[in-house]
Amino acid sequence: MAGVSLEKIEAIAPDQASLVAARKLVKPGGWLGLSADNSGLIWGECQGSGASPYRVVASEIDAGYKCTCPSRKFPCKHSLALMWMRAEGKIPFESAEGPQWVQDWVRRRRSGTGDAGGAEREEAAQPKSLVRATTDEAEEIDPKAQARAAAARDRSRRERETAIVAGLDDLDRWLIDQVEGGLAGFAAHAGKSCRSIAQRLVDAKAPGLASRLDSLPNRIYSLPEHARAMAAVEQLGQLHILAEAYRRQESLDPNLCADLRREVGWTQARESLLGEEAALCISGRWRVVGAISEVQPDRLRRLETWLWREGATDGPRAAVLLDFVPVASGQTRGAYRTGERMEATLVFYASARPLRALIKEMSSPAEECSAILELPNEDLAGAITEYEDALTRVPWINIWPMRFSEARVRRNGEKLFLCSTSGGRAALPMLMSQVSTVAPLLAMEKIDGFGLWDGYGFRLCFAQTPLGRWVSE
Amino acid sequence: MGERVNADELKSQVLPVLLGGTRHETGEQLLAPGTDREHAVLNALSLTGQVLRFTPPSSPNVFAVESWPRDERRIVPDRLRPHIFRLLDKCTEDSARALALTLEKQKLRPHPFDLPKLDGFIERYAERLGTTAQYWVQRETPAQQSRGYFEADELNADNWTESPLRARAKFLKALRNQDPEAGRKLMQKSWGAENPDSRVQLLSAFQIGLSAEDKPFLESIEKDRAPRVRAIVQRLHAAIAGTTADNPALAACMQRIQRSQSGLLKRRSALKLELPATVKEHETNRWIQEQFADVTVGDLSHAYEMSETELVEAAEKDNNLLFALALMASRENRFALLDGITDELPDAWGRMSGLSGDEDLRDDADELVHWAKALIKPKKWLPEIPFPAWSWLHRQMEGPLPAGIMREILASQIWSEQLDQEKKGPSLEIIQVICALCPRELRVVVRTQLEPLEAERKHKGSMLLEILDELESLT
Repeated sequence: MAGVSLEKIEAIAPDQASLVAARKLVKPGGWLGLSADNSGLIWGECQGSGASPYRVVASEIDAGYKCTCPSRKFPCKHSLALMWMRAEGKIPFESAEGPQWVQDWVRRRRSGTGDAGGAEREEAAQPKSLVRATTDEAEEIDPKAQARAAAARDRSRRERETAIVAGLDDLDRWLIDQVEGGLAGFAAHAGKSCRSIAQRLVDAKAPGLASRLDSLPNRIYSLPEHARAMAAVEQLGQLHILAEAYRRQESLDPNLCADLRREVGWTQARESLLGEEAALCISGRWRVVGAISEVQPDRLRRLETWLWREGATDGPRAAVLLDFVPVASGQTRGAYRTGERMEATLVFYASARPLRALIKEMSSPAEECSAILELPNEDLAGAITEYEDALTRVPWINIWPMRFSEARVRRNGEKLFLCSTSGGRAALPMLMSQVSTVAPLLAMEKIDGFGLWDGYGFRLCFAQTPLGRWVSE
Repeated sequence: MGERVNADELKSQVLPVLLGGTRHETGEQLLAPGTDREHAVLNALSLTGQVLRFTPPSSPNVFAVESWPRDERRIVPDRLRPHIFRLLDKCTEDSARALALTLEKQKLRPHPFDLPKLDGFIERYAERLGTTAQYWVQRETPAQQSRGYFEADELNADNWTESPLRARAKFLKALRNQDPEAGRKLMQKSWGAENPDSRVQLLSAFQIGLSAEDKPFLESIEKDRAPRVRAIVQRLHAAIAGTTADNPALAACMQRIQRSQSGLLKRRSALKLELPATVKEHETNRWIQEQFADVTVGDLSHAYEMSETELVEAAEKDNNLLFALALMASRENRFALLDGITDELPDAWGRMSGLSGDEDLRDDADELVHWAKALIKPKKWLPEIPFPAWSWLHRQMEGPLPAGIMREILASQIWSEQLDQEKKGPSLEIIQVICALCPRELRVVVRTQLEPLEAERKHKGSMLLEILDELESLT
């Protein structure tokens, strides 16, 4: 099995100093129990400055990692050194089954506890607890307890549905208030207004809608002044569509209903999706075409990895992997870099336009690939049409992936636009935050690529040009 | 809205109500008979919002025409690009300069897509990095203020004024060598548009091929606003006339030099420079530089009726006067004379390194080698705290030192002490400047010497050496 390469290690290292520090640990003398199993896991214990050695485990499949050291850098020098030794191949790894602490990590990854790059900070030792000892005993199968638990879950779900509907009624009243005051002036008080209704929706157990409202002021402020009032009409209108659709969800197509419920804030555990037999699974060769890291108002960092399925003729061609990590963890990047390619099976969350997915199985690890990505020969106008089609199916789409061929970047004043070169007036304004990084593309007569459209600005993630690949990272 | 409405009607009739507010206007167009008002308003909001979402974004009718210049240089290979990023992240200016100089020498340029990420580096070294880099740093400059984008070897009399000062000075010197009259005419044409610093630098080129035919032009600029320009003009006049009598700068210097006789069997002149009492010790070098800025060795030698060698001998007991002579000899490219001076004053370059200003633009590679060999005598003297002095040296050399000098530095006691692990050890800055100054053939020696050091200290220097090796191996 091809493991993590030295180039990959260099790419994921947070800085040069980390590589330098890791280099010093690349020697067998400082490690105990260097081992590997046949499913791509490697592990070992590295003696640090403390009394107990640090436990380090990594996955050769997706470069996930975990270390018990207190470092604030991700990955830490121990994780880098472990992968380094394995990649160099000079130090032997014993073939073994993973011990309990390695299995625990694997299990937690599958259950989705926010470990996008595999970084977790675990207490060095679990606190001893009599209560836990008692509850551990009680976890043995008891049909009556299971029935009680199921009834409790049902009750909880009904209560939540009631709470959400009540929250939606409040949302409607809030929307009416905004319209009464006139949406031309909404931007001026958006921050305060949105915060109060967002809090109400959190109380109503609709965190997805709350998050939308929390993000709304920034979305509007990021636009030029003349566009803010229209954006307010659009965004607030979408909120009502969501509310009204939720009230009528019984009559919706099941996939659209799934989209809707996710948008409001219902979640499906990773393990549940991975185990769902009816879930849409797509195998193929996937290229990473975008990697985005943004801090949300709730102080979680959202890590998006956008994938494109090479050579696809049917089914979803684009996918996004989402992970959320606390800002305080220090992790700023996901596990994958734009341009990498992997062979994998993805399982998609149910949707009228499937996009969000998880990696169910990886046949080959993600590796840097310099080959040209073959994109469908569809110009920008075609990409815009596809977006509109998606919008008719899922009216509350915020971000939509677009791939395009034969476009070019053009300038009007301080603004940049992605324009079609094949005739027609299709042109998308680009994000102002990208003006500097995209500027060198002004010299290119034609580019193919991939980006994200949010209705107002196009974020270019990846472009193929006569001078090679351009990436936004 | 009991009847069907189309998108245009929503935009023209409903949207204004939504924007203006329904508090003061009933918004009849939103209502249909028998419907709940609030429900109707919300429906209108969501329908209008969706209409707007489906409205294509407005795009301009015209776009700027891009005029990126043609750039003949090769682009840095992809495999080196991440290494260059890592090097330039928190490296010293010496490392950045070494990289820029090598890119220039190898006729390479950064990848255009990397320009935004290397903004600071590109800004500082654009004129060495090719026309694309020059265009990049000027991309937001108004057209009337921007300069053209040229490689140094593309300069001619027509585009001369549009290139950076360094390139223009070099071009003018070369032209004065070939055709002094053409050089003078070029200067006359652009003189009025030059700023004072440029005028000083360019006028210095007039020493080459100076003749009586230059007199009218010099007379026309005698009353220039810049004092340095006026002083240089007077000096040039004096040189043309073959007399130093009218050089006030020379007269002022001679007033500060005391002459005496020494020796019993053979009387020899001794010269000593008297500094004004108001000049503090740390101001000495600067004062000397300014005092002797418009005087030549020849002027002094003529004034004291001594040969230049005798002049140096007469000053041998006075380090300050020797330093003045070293400054003049260096400025005039009098390498043999400079060599004799630094035999007596080996720390001359250490004293020079503390002075600001790159007045001596020395572009000829051979000149630089001769100058370095005359000035740097590692066996006699090396700075105890090396970093500022060596950094200055790298700026002057615009590249590595001659191998002979570097070999002596690497074998010196002072450098060995720097490498001593038990002492504090060399700083990141010192290691990087030594790596920058090291010629290609001695990099293996430096690598060996750095090997025992901690990784944190040496990694930038090592990275620099690797990148330079890679760049220089590209054919």
